[in-house]
Amino acid sequence: MGIFIEDYNVSGADTVALEDSIMQKGKQVTAGSKILDNFVSPFNATVVDRLLDGGFKISGRTVMDEFGLLKLSHDDNNTPSGAVRAVSEGISAYALCNDLFGRYREEAPQYDCCYIHPTYGTVSRYGLIPLASSLDQIGIVCRDLSQGFGLLSHLAGKDPKDGAMFPDSKYCYGKTDEKITLGIPRSVIEKADADTRESIMDFINKFSSTDIDLEYFDLYSQVMYILSSAEISNNLSRYDGIKFGYRASGYTDIDDLYTKTRSEGFGLDAKLTAIMGAVVLSKDHYGPYYEKAMKIRRLIKESINFDTYDVIVLPCKISDDPYENLALYSLAPLAGLPSVSFSYKGYGIQLVAGVKKENLLLSTWEVSMA
Amino acid sequence: MPNIEDYEAMTKISLSEDEKTIVSGYMNMLLDSFKKLEDTDVSGVVPLISVLDVKSPMRDDVAIKTISREELLSNAPEQHDAYFQVPRTVD
Repeated sequence: MGIFIEDYNVSGADTVALEDSIMQKGKQVTAGSKILDNFVSPFNATVVDRLLDGGFKISGRTVMDEFGLLKLSHDDNNTPSGAVRAVSEGISAYALCNDLFGRYREEAPQYDCCYIHPTYGTVSRYGLIPLASSLDQIGIVCRDLSQGFGLLSHLAGKDPKDGAMFPDSKYCYGKTDEKITLGIPRSVIEKADADTRESIMDFINKFSSTDIDLEYFDLYSQVMYILSSAEISNNLSRYDGIKFGYRASGYTDIDDLYTKTRSEGFGLDAKLTAIMGAVVLSKDHYGPYYEKAMKIRRLIKESINFDTYDVIVLPCKISDDPYENLALYSLAPLAGLPSVSFSYKGYGIQLVAGVKKENLLLSTWEVSMA
Repeated sequence: MPNIEDYEAMTKISLSEDEKTIVSGYMNMLLDSFKKLEDTDVSGVVPLISVLDVKSPMRDDVAIKTISREELLSNAPEQHDAYFQVPRTVD
């Protein structure tokens, strides 16, 4: 996988690469899909306007998996994504992306980078090509979390163009002097390999901590897949070959135009997700799958109350199976919580905090790095 | 196991035979994993639609200009006389 679809050839500490799902006026944006072939963005995403207003430079548009979808097949190609490569190779100081299924959160620590997944509703999604709207959240790949949160302070804050946001117009990210207690889900950490477990235990020893039970963890992947595929299936319905993007040739009527366009324009992951979304939303399966997943989502959100702990510690990998690993990356989007992932002594660690408690994540990271 | 052809028709996607084999395999795996949901009692639980506990914002009902007709149509695969062009839909 290359780094850029389009490289603007700028460098410096104020450069930000955009995943190819974030719209930039006058630039081709494809979200990694043939179905958006030749689509040129007619406006800037709000995050792009805020970057430019803050004096940042856009370094290019990074290569991505089609729509950022979950790849269920184990990928033997170990090349990192364009966004992580851009930052790890020093080509760009930061990269913005939408990490729904954990690719960037898993990959960033492997390449000595960090990832910030902000609280849902604090960063505008206007101009982000939608994937699963109740879960989408623009995040940051960076080399250093304190710098990454510095960038986030330029991006976060209410945008009238995004209807699902907190009312705060600005956020001030900085470390806090609060004493931090870590929540340790031992049954999850035990699934990681021995070296990762050892690294996490060393990390935990720097803080006070308490054991916690991540209730419903065994259902996280299922709930995440059911809800996201339903939303993605709906969001993919706009790609019909009529208003924008790719249109197949040789069709006989409008129905054939739709089918040929979507069959030629979507890759296998998009086809699978669209079909699975239709399955979980269909009459026979809506109740046992989609509606039940929405109810369990509420149970998951309410089970994480941060009453005796401030920050949850998770590994970045527990399996070679992407579907099993998805459970690690589902809590933050399902409950709308902020998370960070970074490398600690060579192994990936993920921290999750309460809504708008990004400062606790930054402080925890700073203490661990001291 | 749902009939995959029904869902191809529903989603306007036609799978090749190879794709059908792969999609069916993943569909079986996923539906099998979904069985785990059966063990969780959700009686009385209200579905969570949005994690945001804030009201949907309302704006004044005033027309605003966003992008022009020309800009909108510039991304259309085919257009004619300032309209999207589609195959004949009525006889």
